[in-house]
Amino acid sequence: MSANRWLATGNYFTTYKEEQRIFLTHTDRLIFSFFLVCVFVWPLVFETNNKSMLVVDNILIAMIAVLGLNLVTGFAGLISIGHAAFVGVGAYTVASVSRVMGDDYILLTHAWPAMILASGLVGAVFGAMVGLPAFRLKHLYLAIATLSFQMIFQWTINFMEFFNQGQTIFVGRIFWLNGEVGRNEHYIFWYYVILIILVLLGFMVRNLLRTRFGRCLIAVRDNDRAADAMGMHPGLTKVYAFGLAGFFAGIAGALHAYLYRGVGIESFTLHESITYLAMAIVGGLGTLNGSFWGPAAIKMLELQVEKIAEHAGDMMPASMNLATALRPLTFGLVIVLFLMFEPRGIANWWRIIRSYFKLWPFRY
Amino acid sequence: MRNHKMMFVPILMSFIAVLFFAANLQAGEVYKLALSLAITGPTSDAGNPYAKGVEDYFRFVNDTKMLGDDRIECTIRDDQYKTDVTKRNFEDFLDQGIVLYLNYSTGSTMGLKRDFEEEKIAVIPASFHAGNLVDSNYIFLPIASYSEQTIGLAEYVANNHKGDKPKVALFVHPSAFGRGPVEDVEKAAKAGLNIEVVEVVEHGQDLDNTAMLKRLKSKGVQYVISQTVQSPVATMLKDAARLGYTAKTFGEAGKITFMGAHYTGGNDLIALAGAAAENFFWTTSYKLTSEKSAGADAQLALAARYGRDEKAANSHNYTNGIMVAQVATEVIKRVKKQGLKVNRKTLYDELNQMNGAKAFQPDTTVGPVTYSKTDHAGVDTLQLYRVDGGVFRSVGTPFLCEYIKKI
Repeated sequence: MSANRWLATGNYFTTYKEEQRIFLTHTDRLIFSFFLVCVFVWPLVFETNNKSMLVVDNILIAMIAVLGLNLVTGFAGLISIGHAAFVGVGAYTVASVSRVMGDDYILLTHAWPAMILASGLVGAVFGAMVGLPAFRLKHLYLAIATLSFQMIFQWTINFMEFFNQGQTIFVGRIFWLNGEVGRNEHYIFWYYVILIILVLLGFMVRNLLRTRFGRCLIAVRDNDRAADAMGMHPGLTKVYAFGLAGFFAGIAGALHAYLYRGVGIESFTLHESITYLAMAIVGGLGTLNGSFWGPAAIKMLELQVEKIAEHAGDMMPASMNLATALRPLTFGLVIVLFLMFEPRGIANWWRIIRSYFKLWPFRY
Repeated sequence: MRNHKMMFVPILMSFIAVLFFAANLQAGEVYKLALSLAITGPTSDAGNPYAKGVEDYFRFVNDTKMLGDDRIECTIRDDQYKTDVTKRNFEDFLDQGIVLYLNYSTGSTMGLKRDFEEEKIAVIPASFHAGNLVDSNYIFLPIASYSEQTIGLAEYVANNHKGDKPKVALFVHPSAFGRGPVEDVEKAAKAGLNIEVVEVVEHGQDLDNTAMLKRLKSKGVQYVISQTVQSPVATMLKDAARLGYTAKTFGEAGKITFMGAHYTGGNDLIALAGAAAENFFWTTSYKLTSEKSAGADAQLALAARYGRDEKAANSHNYTNGIMVAQVATEVIKRVKKQGLKVNRKTLYDELNQMNGAKAFQPDTTVGPVTYSKTDHAGVDTLQLYRVDGGVFRSVGTPFLCEYIKKI
């Protein structure tokens, strides 16, 4: 390890513990702390409106979901095409309580942190269950198993009266220390809640990757037979990867339910699953910060494409419906371009930028 | 000389200021409205002409100074038929200070119901789902609900069928939009409506309905009432025509008569099904351009004025959009006339008084628009149409659904 804890131009570690530090230098820690302060303070400094806060909250929720997806697909190498269904499990856990006990039941409105945690746990259980075929299946076959879960989930919600046949199930307004969280402060309140949860989960993943459980995931992804020979249990590792992904997804689903104050099936369809996968790919599979870059990039792209499609819809003849095709086309194109030219995702750009500053003033 | 120059500057400034304020006074009020709908994505074939109808009518209101110097500014935004996006749009519209909101889909109208209540803002959606009105005070349906339309068709069957109790199948969209009226039709049958509901078919994305039609035929089904969108109906009609099942006249023995509610019909259905659409019975509360009327003429003139193509000009969804804009304009006009400030509350109150002598009769509908505290379905009257020679023609006179009051 470099003697200077503020500026380390190379990777010099003398102990294994040193390499496992969350922040390699004090500068890293300082920059991260400054960034955290910024994200917590900016809504208090700048004027915000409900629409922009809703967009930001949505991005943060997607980050939580993609953190989970990155664990199972990026770190453990198991393709999951049903991630939106796991998010849906979390959301419908909240919705089920609302359906049975009423949307203003105290458990929903006052004990909402417990509900969010419970949704995560239910998501974990479903995740682990769907991961069970991982004992026998690999690669595309396992991906199809997750796809079938997505289909079963959609069918169940769409046809069961209990789930209002996919139509919105309302969730009441929650209470905080100073009473009911009203309409005016709703989005800003959830911004802080989601942000805190995201930071906690982010650190959780960072820590997980420093433990043997985290290293197991990567070992199984790289070569499960070798991992087996080293004494790991590839099957159980895969199941627990799915369980973890389900937990993150469940938390994201519950937050979605509370943010929108209702749950409807259209937020958890196969299309959403593909979108989560696109976020993970674009952000950078198998990287922690890729889970943050991907959702932000895709959601912002979505907003821009929306605007373009709207203008295109005005200008092009309705019968051609080209504007409708613009969105899937753009997504497809972005994913293909990233896979072709930057398979390591935006996270790699971040790595290059960091390396530049780390090595500066040297070029190598 | 210097003094004169110094005097000139303040005089000029004062003159400019007076002009500025005078111009502002003359500019009148701007009433902000908004519409979020599917211009792209699912159902955009209906959303597109609908948006044009709303846009054109408000342009017409402003261009012809229907509200004097006051103007209506209606922001129209695409939501791709997604409730999440509709919610985002709605929040944006609220930030802009809208006084009335026009929504579109059933899902988003149901999903945002709580927001409408909290914001106390009157909403006129393009969805006619009866469920929109449950636990809601601020949603106003433009015309009779899907339930009323479907039961109305069932009543027509019961009243005009010759022979034993007619056997009916319901062909519905697999969503709340499609399922909504099923329970109500069954309730009407239990309440004494002389029909037997043999089967309820929730269609998928089938490209062939042969098996379904053969099954219905084997069960003795004589009438199929559809509550969905045009394309699945077109597929069914084409298969029925190929199998030789389509009735040439209403209730033809041994054949099936096909019928449908508002979103199943229109010119798009004829374009999709071609000759197989012949003798399809359809109900809506709108007047059509295929039949001569003052409303149809005004609609075509409006479309021509703003350069719309023939397809949009003749679309019943274009009519639908115009009618909603007409209601919005009328209610603003009435509030203004009373000397009240146009805001959410006064518009809501005025909409609730749109009944009796104050009922509104737009030229685009077959009956008056009536709202009250207890009735938020606009035009209660329905007109039956039938495809005859490639166009929809009226069958009889406008009618009211009777059994809706009994269930």
